[in-house]
Amino acid sequence: MDWAGWAVFGLIATAALTAVMIGAQLAGLTRLDLPLLLGTIFTADPDRARVAGFFAHLVVGQGFALGYAAAFALWGRATWWLGVALGAVHVSVVLGAVVPLLAGVHPRLASDRAGPASRATLEPPGLFGLNYGVQTPVVAVVAHLVYGLALGLALGAR
Amino acid sequence: MTATASGPGPAPAADGGGAPIADHALIGDTRTAALVASDGTLDWMCLPHFDGEPVFGSLVGGPAAGKFRAGPLRRSPVASRRYRPSTTTLETTWTTDQGRLTLTEGMVAELGRYLLPETLVVRRLAAADGPVDVEVDLAPRLGESNRPPVVRHRREGVVLAWGSLALALRSDPVLPPGSGDAATSWRVRVEPGRPLTLVLSTADRQPLVHVDPERAWEALRDDEERWRRWCGHIDTAGIEPRYRAPLERSLLTLRLLTYSPSGAPVAAPTTSLPEDPGGVRNWDYRFAWPRDASIGIGAFLGVGHVDEARHFLAWLLHASRLARPRLPVLLTLHGRYPRPERELRGWPGYRSSRPVRTGNGAADQHQLDGYGWVVDAAWLLTRAGVRLDGETWRAVRGFVDEVARRWREPDAGIWEVRDDAAHHVHSKLMAWLALDRGLRIARRRGVPERRRRGWVAEREAIAAEVRTRGFDAGLGAYVRSYGSTELDAAVLVLPLLGLEPPGSPRTRATIDAIRSRLGAGGPFLYRYPPGSDGLPGGEGAFLPCSFWLVQALAASGRRPEAAELFDELLAWAGPLGLYPEEADPSSGEFLGNHPQALTHAAMVQATLALRDSNRLGGSPPS
Repeated sequence: MDWAGWAVFGLIATAALTAVMIGAQLAGLTRLDLPLLLGTIFTADPDRARVAGFFAHLVVGQGFALGYAAAFALWGRATWWLGVALGAVHVSVVLGAVVPLLAGVHPRLASDRAGPASRATLEPPGLFGLNYGVQTPVVAVVAHLVYGLALGLALGAR
Repeated sequence: MTATASGPGPAPAADGGGAPIADHALIGDTRTAALVASDGTLDWMCLPHFDGEPVFGSLVGGPAAGKFRAGPLRRSPVASRRYRPSTTTLETTWTTDQGRLTLTEGMVAELGRYLLPETLVVRRLAAADGPVDVEVDLAPRLGESNRPPVVRHRREGVVLAWGSLALALRSDPVLPPGSGDAATSWRVRVEPGRPLTLVLSTADRQPLVHVDPERAWEALRDDEERWRRWCGHIDTAGIEPRYRAPLERSLLTLRLLTYSPSGAPVAAPTTSLPEDPGGVRNWDYRFAWPRDASIGIGAFLGVGHVDEARHFLAWLLHASRLARPRLPVLLTLHGRYPRPERELRGWPGYRSSRPVRTGNGAADQHQLDGYGWVVDAAWLLTRAGVRLDGETWRAVRGFVDEVARRWREPDAGIWEVRDDAAHHVHSKLMAWLALDRGLRIARRRGVPERRRRGWVAEREAIAAEVRTRGFDAGLGAYVRSYGSTELDAAVLVLPLLGLEPPGSPRTRATIDAIRSRLGAGGPFLYRYPPGSDGLPGGEGAFLPCSFWLVQALAASGRRPEAAELFDELLAWAGPLGLYPEEADPSSGEFLGNHPQALTHAAMVQATLALRDSNRLGGSPPS
């Protein structure tokens, strides 16, 4: 297990993933704003939420990177295509399970069952995040493949 | 309850077919809604949401499109029909030759953490003065093809399924074997003291939840209590007591038409109820217009429901994220671009008004006025002490910049007349409003000096151009578009903006000209001269315009006229206090999609204008 590689490159890969997501958002491809989505777990102020969410996302990204590093260690090698393959599994779990289930625990994310008493301010992302724009799954897939690619390349080079 | 042409109140449809539009009550759960006619026929409901496919669509799809009737076996006169005070629960009582029968019905809006389906329709039939024979007829059909469900009779009740979408009907007492092709039609006797409770559960891509009828009834009663509490928070200070009940009904209707999962305001729960019976002016309103959201912000803010106002703005900014700085004309409930407009094949339409459409072709238009409504709403929230966060202020600044860049271009205008790009005076007025309110917010939030000077320069340029090119000296009034001599009732916003003093001769003359030249008799106004939109056939009087006239009169110091007009409009409301989009000025027959959020929001704004003018002693604000 490459602990130093995990610590450094997990951070870099998460930063790359975040950059792809923010870039796509600024380009008008998706409304999915991961820092905002995560940060509003802690605060309702969108500006503060983005800061909190950015750091929360780094932590989450680091957690996933641990899984990648463990898988590479198990296989005894790290390559770009193994990283991409793991990224594909990763994004299918995120879009198919994590994002739709988030509404159940997120205090400011409405669910499809929301009624008049709901004080949630964010609409539910829906399956594959489609409520945030039809290109959202594509953007998420690309971002996570970049994440896996970065980890596979970086850890494979050591 | 009904009226003739000589008196106020909506008239019934002139010919046969289904129940008139005015005869329909709204029940809803803020995720979808249903329309119920006074004979107990639920003839419109889409699943899983407002903009889903109809499962009960006979309102515009004819008998083949499905219905759910619960009422007296033999057609009987309605003795009374009302919403329970301060709730959304509907109560209809018939006098039958056997006794009185009361149908109490609603949809459960607040599901909380309970195992309840996303949509739960509860209907209870109770007899008094003797046993009454009733009919329960459940005949859902899905979508354009009127697809019948696969029906299974189970111990828990009847399950009707189309693949991943399913309905379940349970009852207490348990219904005997039914009749009809699918055995989903029943004739039973309801004894006094032993009501029949019907519970319709829905499931879309989820397991069906079979709800015990008594539990469903309790959930409905709990919901009523929540609605009462919600109404208890309406600030009615300064509002005349006789206006409070209609105001409450309008606010409840607006809330029922707000899609809770995203906060989107739905313009109306229906599609293709005609503006011209038998004609082609049939549009799908099951979308959210940023303009409506902005007007809703003013309405909810004015009565102290700040959370609803904030949610509308939050939805608006979230939904418009992909298109910024352009403001989309309309969006789906989840902020997506609507599917292309198309016609439902084989659907006969309400009173043969074809085509029945889904989707809305206005989505591609450039409408300048939308920006004014949105920035004004942001200003109203700011003025009310709500701090706009950085993201919101960035978005609002972007909209103001967009207006500063594009106000010289022709646009489609508020009425969405297709292929009619022009320099609409109302659009220019609203562009002026966007810049003015942007500058007001900037005073509190700050904006770079160069940008501020740019906004000021463009605002003054609009004012100068509108005062010269938008005003017709011969008429003495602001007109519909540059160079035109037609009038536009949307220009009634003039005294509310600040571009012209509310009591100025130009403002007064414009109000009077619109009232006389676009007046349709009684309190009604056409939105523009009939026949000037390029579509065949005519259309009715546009009800929001009449409420805007109340606002304009109140704001320009003519309170007695405003109050008189408002009283007339209240008398023309439906029996349950609901308003559609339009009305036939000669008969009062309701036209257009129903109930209409814009009309109810305008009604609330008119009530608030009367309240405010009362506080000012009837003088126009300086």
